[in-house]
Amino acid sequence: MSSSLDQRKPPLPGPRTSSKPGPADSPPPRRSARRLRDRLAGAGFLAPAVLLVSTLLLLPFATTVYRSFFDDRRVSGFAGLDNYALFLNDPVLTRSIQNTLMWVVGTVVLPLLLGLAIAVLTHGGGWSRAARLVVVLPYALSGSAVAVVWNFVLTTDGAANQALRAFGMDAFAQGWLLEWPGNTLVMILANTWQSAGVAVILFLVGLQTIPPETLEAASLDGASGWRRFWFVVLPQLRTVSVIVVGISLVNGLKSFDLIWVLTQGGPGRESETLAVSMYQETFLALHPGAGAAVAVVLTTIVLFTSWLYLRRQLTPKGN
Amino acid sequence: MRSNGGATQWSSHPLGRRSVLAGIGAGGAAALAGCARGDSTAVKPGTTSLANDNATWDQGYVAAGRELKKLTGYALRPLSNPNPTSYKQVTQISLQTTKATDMIKWASGYLLKSLARTGELSDLSSLWADYERRGWVTSQAREAMSYRGSVYGMPLYESYYVLFYNTALFRKHGLRAPGTWEELLHNAEVLKKADIVPFVATQSGNWPAYEWFQELVSKVDPQFYAELISGKAHYTDPQAKQALQIWQDFMRKGWMTPADFDQNNGPAALKAGQVGMFLHGSWQSQGIAATGMKPGVDFDAFVMPPVESSTRRSVITESGVLAVPRKAVSHEAAMANAANWLDPKVQKVWTDFLQDASANPRSRPGNPVMAGLKDRAQRERWTLLPRYGESGPPNLIQGNTDDLGSFMTGSSSAEGTLRSMAGRAAEEWAAWERDEA
Repeated sequence: MSSSLDQRKPPLPGPRTSSKPGPADSPPPRRSARRLRDRLAGAGFLAPAVLLVSTLLLLPFATTVYRSFFDDRRVSGFAGLDNYALFLNDPVLTRSIQNTLMWVVGTVVLPLLLGLAIAVLTHGGGWSRAARLVVVLPYALSGSAVAVVWNFVLTTDGAANQALRAFGMDAFAQGWLLEWPGNTLVMILANTWQSAGVAVILFLVGLQTIPPETLEAASLDGASGWRRFWFVVLPQLRTVSVIVVGISLVNGLKSFDLIWVLTQGGPGRESETLAVSMYQETFLALHPGAGAAVAVVLTTIVLFTSWLYLRRQLTPKGN
Repeated sequence: MRSNGGATQWSSHPLGRRSVLAGIGAGGAAALAGCARGDSTAVKPGTTSLANDNATWDQGYVAAGRELKKLTGYALRPLSNPNPTSYKQVTQISLQTTKATDMIKWASGYLLKSLARTGELSDLSSLWADYERRGWVTSQAREAMSYRGSVYGMPLYESYYVLFYNTALFRKHGLRAPGTWEELLHNAEVLKKADIVPFVATQSGNWPAYEWFQELVSKVDPQFYAELISGKAHYTDPQAKQALQIWQDFMRKGWMTPADFDQNNGPAALKAGQVGMFLHGSWQSQGIAATGMKPGVDFDAFVMPPVESSTRRSVITESGVLAVPRKAVSHEAAMANAANWLDPKVQKVWTDFLQDASANPRSRPGNPVMAGLKDRAQRERWTLLPRYGESGPPNLIQGNTDDLGSFMTGSSSAEGTLRSMAGRAAEEWAAWERDEA
């Protein structure tokens, strides 16, 4: 930034006493003034971004951390780590952590496997374009819209049970959204239906960047089918897989909209994830302190997991 | 040199960096100014703004406002936020600003008390005294509108919890509105045999989970219900156990809709004869009438009879509230409208729109179903009990409603549910008392 600024500046006017260097090594006053001006200009360009991030992200986060140390009585007092202790002794939050873990595993594994499978199967071949479009389409829908659609399917009087009954499988008809852990599992499946699309796109891009020479060389060496996929294609999709897992990981940790529309975390707060608990505690149970503690824990987990994962998986060159 | 040339090109470009930045700055400033202005609550002569969470009632407010204007000179200007959760938050925050709406719709009971104790509502005690002198309110209704002895809200309406039924369906199966508990059970048995789900019951949307709880507990023992909601009786007492046993028995017999039944589909299901009896607030009349059924002709309603015939008859009531924020922009106008809201002329227009009953006992509902029930309640001196949703500290109600949702899906037993509710009640009542002290 500063170098390009330097380059753009016209040469300073006035004669130069180049024959005699200045006393000692200190830069001439004009140059230091210029450097200061450069720095100020740099700071000026950075300021809007810094200001925005500070006011919209860092400041609220600091306030949330501060609030989490205070109790939820009418006149709030300092409560130390009491709000964090709820994670140990409140069954609702324990269940919420269990659900969040299920969501993370489900939203990482399913889109990864399905996305890869669909991308590999539909890569090349004319008819596959239509199939690919069908898979990718749900990704264009909003989470709430997807939830409304699945609500028609999953309620006790909904399409899933009607279809089961039509085929004489009455025994399998059940309240899909009413019992734990079944309700969490079907919601993870609904989420996969939507989010597999982005994994497919990313894997397709990955497949297209594989140099055909490597595949040709593999064929010449006699590798085909599964062996060629496992030893030649898959290793070259590593970067894409890292991105897919990274995105899914964060999505799994912060899943909210689908759950909110389908069950509102119920019945009896059994299907809540940490993101839903944060909302429930703060806005419905009117426990802003407890809600802040959930928010802090959730943010810490998301940041830590993302950092740990990306640090291990992505080298500076991105390979 | 290249970059110098680049810089020259940049500066000669019609959209230079500076103009882009200036544009963004100007746009941002304009947007901020727009946000800050927020003129929806500003003074508009001849009107008072009314914040509420139900846009479908706007026409009713406007019609009632026309009547109010004849009396006070101020019409009503409804400002709706159709999402109740968001409405709650926005209202609580806006009460602290200088741009508070002139009137707000709120819930009665402890939700009103919670808001009143922030000190942001106007004391309406003198207006209430006037109403009482004219016989336009009952003294029974005062408690749900007050906090520490002062009144902070005017009842918006007075709904009863009733069981709606399709008259043609009842006729077809030789049934009539039950006068006793045995008749109610008989109706359910007949309907079930005809492959009709006898009762609507759901926890979908969370709060409906307490509808059957309040109904059954109050029909087992109305006195006990009154003590339970004031924290004097326990959830583990025999009356509460009996109520949950009845409920469980109904569910086991397949007499209730699945716990994720969407109540919005209730009116259509009633019309189609898929469900027999729909337990809900009488305001649902409007929704059922919207399906083309005529009140008193195609559908009717009854209040659930007590479990023992010797038990006194009671009905669960619900009143929304009109309150006046302390910092209302047109405070005087809002107080004038609050002082005339229960005038029978205003109530006539309002309840005709709502198809529900007024809190003014002198105002006869236009809906024949409600008029009949109201007459009977007054004649037979039924005990009026407040709805569970407003009858305790909000955190207690929220948590216990979640527990009842678990009970409805079978994931917690009757005993376990009541134990959990009792534990929370002890905790939350203590917290409420501590905060009050």
